[in-house]
Amino acid sequence: MGRKNLRRQHSSAIDPGDVVFLRVSEKLITARFIERGLTGLIFLAITIVPLVLRLTGVWSGYPAWLAWGLPAVVVLSIMWEMILIPRQVRAIGYAERDDDLLIRGGIMFHRVMVVPYGRMQYVDVTMGPLERMLGLSTIHLHTASPGTNAMLNGLPAAEAARLREQLSARGEAKLAGL
Amino acid sequence: MNADMVQEQSGASVGFHTDDEHTWHRVHPVSPLVRGWVAVAAVVFIFGRNSLESVFSGGWDGNPGSLAQTAGAPALVILAVVGAAVVIFGLAFFLSWRFTRYQVTDEHVHINSGVVFRQQRRARIDRVQAIDVVQPLVARVFGLAELKFEVADGGKSALKLSFLKLGEAQRLRAAILARASGAVADPASPGQVHEAPETHVLALKPGRIIAAAFLGSTTIFALCVVVAGVVAVRWSGEPAILVAGVPIFIGIGAGYWKAITGDFNFRVAVSPDGVRLYYGMLETRAQTIPPGRVQAVGISQGPLWRLLGWYRVHINVAGYGADSSGHGSRTVLLPVGTLDEVMAVLGLVFPDPGVENPFAVFIAGLRGPGNAEGFVHSPRSARWIDPLAWRHNAFRATDTALLCRHGVIFRNLQVVPHERTQSLRLRQGPLMAALGLVDFELHSTAGPVRPLVHHLSVENGKQLFAEQAARAATARRIHRKEKWLAPDAGPVIEPATAVIDPVQTSQQQPTQEQDHGD
Repeated sequence: MGRKNLRRQHSSAIDPGDVVFLRVSEKLITARFIERGLTGLIFLAITIVPLVLRLTGVWSGYPAWLAWGLPAVVVLSIMWEMILIPRQVRAIGYAERDDDLLIRGGIMFHRVMVVPYGRMQYVDVTMGPLERMLGLSTIHLHTASPGTNAMLNGLPAAEAARLREQLSARGEAKLAGL
Repeated sequence: MNADMVQEQSGASVGFHTDDEHTWHRVHPVSPLVRGWVAVAAVVFIFGRNSLESVFSGGWDGNPGSLAQTAGAPALVILAVVGAAVVIFGLAFFLSWRFTRYQVTDEHVHINSGVVFRQQRRARIDRVQAIDVVQPLVARVFGLAELKFEVADGGKSALKLSFLKLGEAQRLRAAILARASGAVADPASPGQVHEAPETHVLALKPGRIIAAAFLGSTTIFALCVVVAGVVAVRWSGEPAILVAGVPIFIGIGAGYWKAITGDFNFRVAVSPDGVRLYYGMLETRAQTIPPGRVQAVGISQGPLWRLLGWYRVHINVAGYGADSSGHGSRTVLLPVGTLDEVMAVLGLVFPDPGVENPFAVFIAGLRGPGNAEGFVHSPRSARWIDPLAWRHNAFRATDTALLCRHGVIFRNLQVVPHERTQSLRLRQGPLMAALGLVDFELHSTAGPVRPLVHHLSVENGKQLFAEQAARAATARRIHRKEKWLAPDAGPVIEPATAVIDPVQTSQQQPTQEQDHGD
């Protein structure tokens, strides 16, 4: 049900063998660009204030290296994030197995999680304003453990609905007590 | 709602009959006072002190009139204030008592409370995770007890009945546990339940509790503070610096006091209804944990305890959560015990270790290092990040549980039954990727035990991840019995209404008529 993957999926040494992961929508890259970009711009605006004050002569005592350095650091970190985002998004994957759902993610900090269907207490499907514009949804699986942080961003809305139905059906079939 | 349907507490019958839909009970009339005595005491103290002060500062010349005058306020005003306080408190207490009702049917426990904001709570009895009978000091004076009924919601909202007569609380506990266990009712008198008999397992002597408190981490901390103090005085030459240590030592003293009074008279017993723990010096508590409700066990040992061979046993129970009330001792299965005692309590919560030689396996798990008894430890490359502990960090899967061992100085063994596995995760950062290592996490319900295996080799980690997922799936299929005394009828299939619908689009739940599923 995943989109056609033109580019190779990022893989890591800890992925379980012989599992084909489905990928989330590439539109998530756009969503994250906008989201991170806006946050970055706000930070940049804040850190650039002393520089402006210094250049206009209002606060000439402010050290030059700090005035230029701070915004530069912010710009660099935004750029670094922007470079990573496409790879991060392509690294997100999920696979429905017979008994559980596998979720993978991360390019430097790899993680693979398995959530058994019989352990799911409920499934959240959410859609923020930006996601709504791009037709994406986030699905969040909850078990009785607070450690289960099983979230999938950037699913196409139809796929999210299908997955939710699928998960609930399988959850009911496999439901176990705590 | 009719008054005639409301029965006052009946302490007459020996057994217990569950209620029908229309029978409601009230808690003991003294309970609001027991709960609100701090407020009353504060008011009494303030007014009492003021009037006493005025008596002494005003002198006593034998003339009652002059007394009232010098007090700055006429006696009438004081009387009026006191009277108003009595009326307000009395009314509040009366209303709070009047509006609190409860009912225990065969299926549910209902509690209605609140005067302005009404709350109706209903919990399924077969979803009970644990029951506590708590007696705070003031309640003990009145012979009252609080009944706490835990459902699996991460320790956020236990159902509380405060306060009942101790005997009544115990009868209710027996009734709820009998219903939850699914035990077949006596055909001669259905609805009648008897308390399950209990067998004494072990008791801790006061000397052990005190010694354990003084050899615990608080003492290590105190020693650090003393060393820091000595260094500071030497360095600065100002003994006055030590004054800063006073509040720290008051805190340390309070820590000792809590540890000793909290765990005093610790006693473990077992009954068909589950493991029963009794403890406390001032506030006493009797905890009942039904069979199969323990989600994970953690056995730990600090450096000072190693000299004496003592261990502490923690448990995760779904209802307790990370709740730290009762000095965090609710999640303690054994505050301090020798190896034999640890094995004894482990046998209660975890009757089938799934190996032929459980003693040897658990000792290997508690002591380490190396790969004795089938433990798999970190590969050699892990010594760059774990120079001391790499041969101690290990795991072993038995037929029924996963054992995770870690630590050298503070040693720890975590045991999770396969059927209690919630979810699994592998994690790997850049440094670990370079060394070919991976962390394995097993998610249990909220609580002090967070099972984790550090720095496995990638190969072992992947294998454990795959195998554990399969083991957990198999164990869940076999182990579906929620009612532990119910007659066996193959795998129990839960009725559709038994749990919260696993799919909800919102996390929010109405507070009214909350149905506590699992």
